Amino acid sequence: MGNAERYAKADRDILAAMEKPGRAYLAGLAFTATLTVIGGILWIYQIRNGLGVAGYTHPVNWAIYITNFVFWVGIAHSGTLISAVLYLFRARYRTSFNRAAEAMTVFALMVAGLFPLIHLGRSWVFYYLLPYPNQRQLWVNFRSPLIWDVFAVGTYFTVSLVFFYVGMIPDFAIARRCKEGIRKRFYQVLSLGWKGTEREWRHYGMLYLFLAAFATPLVASVHSVVSWDFAMSVVPGWHTTIFAPYFVAGAIFSGTAMVITLVIPLRKAMNLHEYITDDHFESIAKIMLFTSLIVSYAYIVEFGLAWYGGNVFETGAFRYRALGDFRYLTWAMIFCNSLVPLSLFVKRLRRNTTCLLVVSLLVNVGMWLERFVIIVASLAHDYDPYVWGTYSPTYVEVGISLGSFGMFFTLYLLFVKNLPVLSITEIKEHL
Amino acid sequence: MAEPMVFREKERFLESLRELVRDGVPRERIRVITPFGVPEVEEILPGKRSKVRFFALLGAASGTVTGFAFTILTSLSWPLIVGGKPIVSLPPFLIIAFALTILFGALSTFLGFLLLSRLPSPRGIRSEVEYGNAFVILVEDGERR
Amino acid sequence: MTAFLEKKGVLAVLLAAAGALMAFVSLRPFPGNGGSLLLAFLFFIGVVEGCIAAAAAGATVNARWVGSVRKELLSVTPLLLVASFLLLLLIPFVDSYPWAGRPGIWLRKDFFIGRNLAFLLLAYVTARRFAAAPADGGGTKVRAAWYLLVFVVSQSLTAFDLVMSLEYPWVSALLGGYFFIEALYGGFAVSALLYLLLHGRPPAGNAPGTRSDLSDLSILMFGFSLMWAGLFFAQFLTIWYGNIPEEVGFIARRVSASPLRELCVAVLFLLFFIPFPALLATRAKSNPYVVSAAALSILSGILVERYVFLAPVVRFSPGALAIDFACLLVLFVAVVYKARVFR
Repeated sequence: MGNAERYAKADRDILAAMEKPGRAYLAGLAFTATLTVIGGILWIYQIRNGLGVAGYTHPVNWAIYITNFVFWVGIAHSGTLISAVLYLFRARYRTSFNRAAEAMTVFALMVAGLFPLIHLGRSWVFYYLLPYPNQRQLWVNFRSPLIWDVFAVGTYFTVSLVFFYVGMIPDFAIARRCKEGIRKRFYQVLSLGWKGTEREWRHYGMLYLFLAAFATPLVASVHSVVSWDFAMSVVPGWHTTIFAPYFVAGAIFSGTAMVITLVIPLRKAMNLHEYITDDHFESIAKIMLFTSLIVSYAYIVEFGLAWYGGNVFETGAFRYRALGDFRYLTWAMIFCNSLVPLSLFVKRLRRNTTCLLVVSLLVNVGMWLERFVIIVASLAHDYDPYVWGTYSPTYVEVGISLGSFGMFFTLYLLFVKNLPVLSITEIKEHL
Repeated sequence: MAEPMVFREKERFLESLRELVRDGVPRERIRVITPFGVPEVEEILPGKRSKVRFFALLGAASGTVTGFAFTILTSLSWPLIVGGKPIVSLPPFLIIAFALTILFGALSTFLGFLLLSRLPSPRGIRSEVEYGNAFVILVEDGERR
Repeated sequence: MTAFLEKKGVLAVLLAAAGALMAFVSLRPFPGNGGSLLLAFLFFIGVVEGCIAAAAAGATVNARWVGSVRKELLSVTPLLLVASFLLLLLIPFVDSYPWAGRPGIWLRKDFFIGRNLAFLLLAYVTARRFAAAPADGGGTKVRAAWYLLVFVVSQSLTAFDLVMSLEYPWVSALLGGYFFIEALYGGFAVSALLYLLLHGRPPAGNAPGTRSDLSDLSILMFGFSLMWAGLFFAQFLTIWYGNIPEEVGFIARRVSASPLRELCVAVLFLLFFIPFPALLATRAKSNPYVVSAAALSILSGILVERYVFLAPVVRFSPGALAIDFACLLVLFVAVVYKARVFR
């Protein structure tokens, strides 16, 4: 087969994903959309009745909503990691995942951004967080970690969106050629009239390089800032210097797990075995294993130093984590995040997609639990035994959380049918 | 404008391009359209390095300055001590300045790219001429394009 | 010197002589001798383990630059044995740690020396196994990964035990990670210097922006300068913001009086504000002068920083410091030089 045929085949194969949806797809979409609607209805219910319908009690005033926020921001991380960091490292296998991962980043951030608003209770005053002066010309408090969040997550969303879009411009030009009617118009506009002249490619290459270079430190900074929401306080179990790198590693860990979770079914459903090979999965499994080791290192250091320092509160917080009300969750978290990924040391298992899918699903669960344990267990038992308490979520919180998963997968399913799921141009470049 | 030369294979296209340059066709008159970025084209038709990088630098620098100026000046305009931190707390302000550096840098790079490659181009959007996966060389007449 | 080093056994004699000299100096009961040895130990263990770790990290990701300096980087492996010996020489000094003489499980003299020694020896064994493997063999990556694992534990222990426990009960969970990243950072700096010494400037025909082993090393140094700054900031910000007396004491002791305050600022410059802007431009990344200046800045930054860590709590004696550093420097140069001669 000559190159020209191979190029044409790549166009066909990848754009084939955008054909009329099948029954399974529609059923999936209906299911996720229903979850989203249920979540939305529960949110309205919570707005009408106040935060009392959530399970917040004193002293646990940060719980599932914040857990979800951290979880979704974490999921967003692998998108930039795969697109930007692997681009700078000239890793070929990035081509198989970058589009899916970038889309995931954008959608996860959209979902994540909702949770601070849900958590506010009075969601309609969210604009207090934005940097503008009040009537008496007092500005927001830039020393507050919550404001850092607004800047960090806002920047991250904007830059990810630009990165996602820029990567698709040449592919839109392909789509506009292959599609008809209204969709053709749609892609024509999105492609901005891209032709592929040498001048366009020259500037495009430089733009992509710079976006990657900007996005790479951004990956590290965003989850550091999220971790500082906790580490800046003096709550035992939260106030640790290792939090920033630990959260960043955890974010990349959960993000790669989510990419694997999404791309394995995608490859099967759309028959993309030729473009996403087992080698590619093996490489990404190695990143997952590597970040799992960092996360495990952080667990050991955290527990070890709580014991080493001999501080009553610090020791107490970690003893409570391991042996207290949330012990099952803690041990489940260690099992999922530290033990299960060790299986990826075996090459055969790294290349087995079923095994990878199971591991990645467990990692997703484990990372959600990690955030829950850190947030809730630390708040439940801080300094004064008189105000110790515990927490269990209500159906409203559970429903809204499930709704967030529904929203994420709905957006993802829509993406799969409307935008090119792989970077066609880059694949041709490597053919 | 002369007839476009259309090639299906990259190698043939590069050969002809080299030939054209050897024959002394001025570099400014040659236009090339490819389905993906071909690094060899850069070598055959050496142009200036893309100016997009200046936009990146300018954007990033203005982001840093804005970040620090914004936080420091607004804090000074109503000096209110919160949480026992100094009015001008540089460590937290650095975080804002960092975020804005990246934000302004990325956006200005993108705008620079659009400006330099003349996108979005209404003509290109409406145009029906498509070369698909072919590699194309256009040699323009003496006039500027 | 070449002929001298080429003789068999000369290196062993040199090792023994340096060891004996350092033993003699540090075992004399002058105040400050133990502290000087600790500083020399901390700096060299970082650089030596970092060099091997740089080669191992490069091997695990198939980095192309490794090929040109691999042998020299791995030639420092025997110095890990010297480091183990130095750790034994530090035994009398351990009595001056604030926790010495008090009951404890983790902070007990025998266990303290034992675990650090065990990991140094383990680092030596794994490094030897890695060095013995062919550069592109199948098992090399596995051996490199084993070394890296031991390296991480060994550097973390160095940080938590030898440095952090000097100010017990001060605690910073990041210090271990900070140490091994810094060691790797130093390892890349040494790699760049070695590359320039061995291969000189990259071929002149290279257009700016094309890949070379030197530019790859520069990119790594550049990236690690950012990473170092991130870790530094994460540690500093948490302590600064929390403002808990037992935590901020560590910083306060170092920034409240001259000349330590100036040295703290110097560390920031040497490890970030010099290498980062210097290596920012594409052209600078393959300019031998810029790269060597950045690498030297990084290495001296690590040295000054180790000094700042110890200075408020440990006494130094200039004479012992000079002898220890001279001995270790000579050994370092000798092993690398020998590897180069027999290339």
